Amino acid sequence: MKLPLSWLGEFVSVAAEVEEICRRLTAAGVEVENLERLRPGFSNVVVARVLKVDRHPNADRLSLCEVDAGPVGRFSVVCGAPNVRAGMTAAYARVGARLRAGVHGAGGAASVEQAPPLEAAVIRGIKSDGMLCSERELGLSEEHQGILELDSGAPGVDLAAALYLDDTVLDIAITPNRGDCLSVLGLAREIAALFGVRMKPARITPLTGQDHAAAPLAVEIQAPDLCPRYAALAMSGIKIGPSPAWVTRRLELSGMRAVSNVVDATNYVMLELGQPIHAFDYAKLAGGKIVVRRAGNDREMTTLDGLRRDLLPDDLVIADAEKPVALAGVMGGGNSEVGGETGTILLESAYFEAMSVARTGRRLGLRSEASYRFERGIDRAGQVRALHRVAAIIRRIAGGRPAGSIVDVEARPAPAREIALEPDAIAKLLGIEIPPAEVSRRLKALGAAVRSGGRGRLIVTAPSFRPDLNEPADLAEEVARLRGLEEIPATAPARVSAGPAVEDASRIFARASREVMLGCGLTEIKSIAFVAPADNQAYPGIGAGETVRVTNPLSAELGEMRRSLVPGLRAALRFNLNREAAAFHAFEIGRAFIMKDREQAPEAERLAGVSYGEYALGAIGRAGVAADFFTIKGIVESYLQSLPGAPRPSFEPPGGGELAFLHPGKSAHIRIGGQLAGYAGELHPGEAMRLELSGPCGIFELDLTLLLAYGTPPPRPIELPPRFPAVRRDLALVVDREMAADKVLQAMAETELNLLESVRLFDVYEGGSLPPGKKSVGIACLYRARDRTLTDGEVNRAHAELVERARARLGAELRQ
Amino acid sequence: MKDQLEEIRARALRGLADDATEAATEDVRVRVLGRSGELTEIMRRMREVPAAERPAIGQLVNQIKRELEARIEVLQHKLKQAALERSLAEARLDVTLPGARLPRGRLHPVTLTIEEMLRIFGAMGFEIVATRDIEDDFHNFAALNFPPDHPAREMQDTFVLGGGLLLRTQPSTGQIRVMEQRKPPLAIVCPGNCYRRDELSVRAAPMFSQIEGFMVDRAGKITMAHLKGVLTEFLRAFFGPGTAVRFRASFFPFTEPSAEVDISCLLCAGKGCRVCKQSGWTEILGSGMIHPNVFRAVGYDPAEYQGFAFGLGVERTALLKLGVEDMRLFFENDLRFLGQFQGSVERFS
Repeated sequence: MKLPLSWLGEFVSVAAEVEEICRRLTAAGVEVENLERLRPGFSNVVVARVLKVDRHPNADRLSLCEVDAGPVGRFSVVCGAPNVRAGMTAAYARVGARLRAGVHGAGGAASVEQAPPLEAAVIRGIKSDGMLCSERELGLSEEHQGILELDSGAPGVDLAAALYLDDTVLDIAITPNRGDCLSVLGLAREIAALFGVRMKPARITPLTGQDHAAAPLAVEIQAPDLCPRYAALAMSGIKIGPSPAWVTRRLELSGMRAVSNVVDATNYVMLELGQPIHAFDYAKLAGGKIVVRRAGNDREMTTLDGLRRDLLPDDLVIADAEKPVALAGVMGGGNSEVGGETGTILLESAYFEAMSVARTGRRLGLRSEASYRFERGIDRAGQVRALHRVAAIIRRIAGGRPAGSIVDVEARPAPAREIALEPDAIAKLLGIEIPPAEVSRRLKALGAAVRSGGRGRLIVTAPSFRPDLNEPADLAEEVARLRGLEEIPATAPARVSAGPAVEDASRIFARASREVMLGCGLTEIKSIAFVAPADNQAYPGIGAGETVRVTNPLSAELGEMRRSLVPGLRAALRFNLNREAAAFHAFEIGRAFIMKDREQAPEAERLAGVSYGEYALGAIGRAGVAADFFTIKGIVESYLQSLPGAPRPSFEPPGGGELAFLHPGKSAHIRIGGQLAGYAGELHPGEAMRLELSGPCGIFELDLTLLLAYGTPPPRPIELPPRFPAVRRDLALVVDREMAADKVLQAMAETELNLLESVRLFDVYEGGSLPPGKKSVGIACLYRARDRTLTDGEVNRAHAELVERARARLGAELRQ
Repeated sequence: MKDQLEEIRARALRGLADDATEAATEDVRVRVLGRSGELTEIMRRMREVPAAERPAIGQLVNQIKRELEARIEVLQHKLKQAALERSLAEARLDVTLPGARLPRGRLHPVTLTIEEMLRIFGAMGFEIVATRDIEDDFHNFAALNFPPDHPAREMQDTFVLGGGLLLRTQPSTGQIRVMEQRKPPLAIVCPGNCYRRDELSVRAAPMFSQIEGFMVDRAGKITMAHLKGVLTEFLRAFFGPGTAVRFRASFFPFTEPSAEVDISCLLCAGKGCRVCKQSGWTEILGSGMIHPNVFRAVGYDPAEYQGFAFGLGVERTALLKLGVEDMRLFFENDLRFLGQFQGSVERFS
């Protein structure tokens, strides 16, 4: 909402600097976002009347003019404009005037003060005492075809005042609850309440000179739930034409365009009083009748902008005896539009329910200054006053006179909104005692009626223009903000939490997971959860389920919620490689979205990582470890080992078609406790090629929602370190090349020999003297007893037993 | 025999002169003390010695053996010392060459900011609760006092997912989720992602982090004065003790009274600059006393309970603290940006 201070001054005057007004408004929740001081681009230019125009004796294209600048004097000027003529009113720059744009717009000074003063000149032998100015020279527009012709103004009056150029405009952000502030009147009320001053008396000119025969009018409200009140007035003898400067200038300063006098007058009153007004061409209304009703069987209408609009049966329309002529509160109809020929108009000033206007407006994508105000709630009692005001203005700028009286139909009375305010209510909420007299005074300043309800209780009736005041908390806010929130002390509450401060387990787990990733050398990234459908197809994440789609995405490329964190990591990898990074090791913890069933929220916590390029321990003269399957698996293993309760994970090669984005031979599903916990592997070489990678790129993703269960250690006693030494025996088994090493270890562990403490893989060997299709697996076996040092004999017997059982289970040979 | 022993001893000592090499020393050891060395030979031939002389000869052999062993040990130590010194002199590295490093990861500045904020709230007694991103209309709007078709809904352009679901536009959904399950007293902060239909740009992102906080207890126990107390303390802990804090009346559907909170501009310390549009203040968070309709929506009696709530944007706050202005930095993940954060987000000046 833009507020020209000259307009505000017609309603209230405050003895404070404009900066102070802005500060107080902002502190009270009516935020002034900008303050613009408008200054004319000239000085010493006055309104003047051209008395006489003669040909310049020495130049065909120049004229010699005599101008009357009233009390300023009469002057003789040379003028080159083709439109100059005797009798016109023009802008006269005296000797000493300054034009920021310069003569012929050729100057361009930084400010009016810096422009050189105009000097008397001799043009082709004739002295010119100043000049008549074009719009360009005055800085009003780029127009320079001729001089500015004014439609009014007394000679000698300062041009800046005549054109309303000297003003200050506040740009104010009005919150959705304060529809009452969407007018000059409303802001004046707010300022008056803030500064404790009285408003100037309202200037309502009563209707006079009615011509009752001119335009009979009847109003019927058939939908009182959507339109409780409708007031109308017909005016005849209208002459449509442009509006005078005082109207157009204020519309312009308020951010609206001037159209023609009648429409401008309705907009002017809307800006001034907050009541939208619509003007119909009376001659186009069938039966001189207004019916406020639901669209019902009317399926469409054409609005003012020439577009055909589909109607729903519940849309509120204004109809005449036959057809809809306006979408109530949203936009007028093309069939009843005021045009150049209009002689009689019907002015509508109504209250439409906010929800109805909002619903219809939003559905049709129609937004107007009027619907904006209806949606935020206008004054429930302001309809008739606005009609008086607009009638007076139309009379002044478009001629015409009222054709009869105002027809005011109230189909549903306004509910009385009485709020009982208990004596301690405000103190309880704000934490500060405010004397009842002050509470009462502040609420009255806002226009509320306040009376005593006995025992210190106040009964407050909210003003008709404040639909947002409904309960004690609303009143507490009003008192607090008028007083200033700085008056409320800042005090520490007693700790209200029932127990010690605690944190959600999933957050603690995520934090611990992040620490492990840092230790593994990965840097954390954050990516946005929207991805392209192709990303979800390429990286379907962990587990099955439906993709979550966005109905109204920013673009098709951001049309789905990510199933996996990998697309974000991949994008970050690419971003950094494009910026000279040689390696990229990163992780993200965030949410993935997969719809498993309707009962559960389709979101789960994920940890994913990408590792590309030299990973660790490189230096001059010694190659570092480059990222590959084993480094990424190592990171996953380190992470899983950090989970105190996690059983040993198993890595299983993917089935056909699974994990298609990974190298088919260098990737694995990760299972923990039999459940799918994620995957790890090298990016598919085809994809690596597309990314122009020069080596393997490791990727993993884990389901943190699943792993959370393993984040806390199971309750078990601490084991003391063994007191007796272990004995190591190695063995090499020859097995089929296809047999997973893990299976061999598993088989050995499952022998459950009670002296066997652990088995560990230390070598895998193929070729050489081994038969084709076979490999040798080197395993270190540790034997230990808790209560004694083992003898050679005991170890040998146990080891022989182990070898025997392993051979039997695996069909393996002992390598000699 | 005795002469023979003296002879062996003298010869061995000659071989173990001060300048004896390691090889020469070893030679002597093998020749004299070895398994078939000269002294061993003598001991083997002890039978030939008359019984009366045997103890004396035996003693002499042992004495010579100990003497030579000691001498050899001295020499060997000396030689090792010399060898060590030689190798130390030779093995000199260019210590300015880079080390063989283990990789080092960094936390994202948004994470660091959230953790710092939660650490402060945790110390103030707030419990930290995780909440969901995907919500329904009730939890994101209706329960938070946004009537259907109300213009306040347009303050936040919403991503719709179909099936009655949407991506939450503010973390205040956390209030509803918690209060549906629990009864006061409550002091809770909920960090989480929020989503609004803004293109990723210098000023905005379609997904961002916020922290919602609220405190609820019996009516009269938690007041607006406490809201000011808690937020002032938090902002001073986070931005520094000299930070000025200002509360301005405002509007949010889910609070009444509502207040915007400003802090003194970090760049100009309140003097007025381009960043704060000459005002000296920067808007930092929204807050207020929880609206009675919110309590009604979760089945609390507003006459019985009362409390405050606030919401704080993480990325914007982090940008302010860092003194940079581009939101995209947080989502591009440029390592040259991410690599600058060492466990905390502090302003570069």
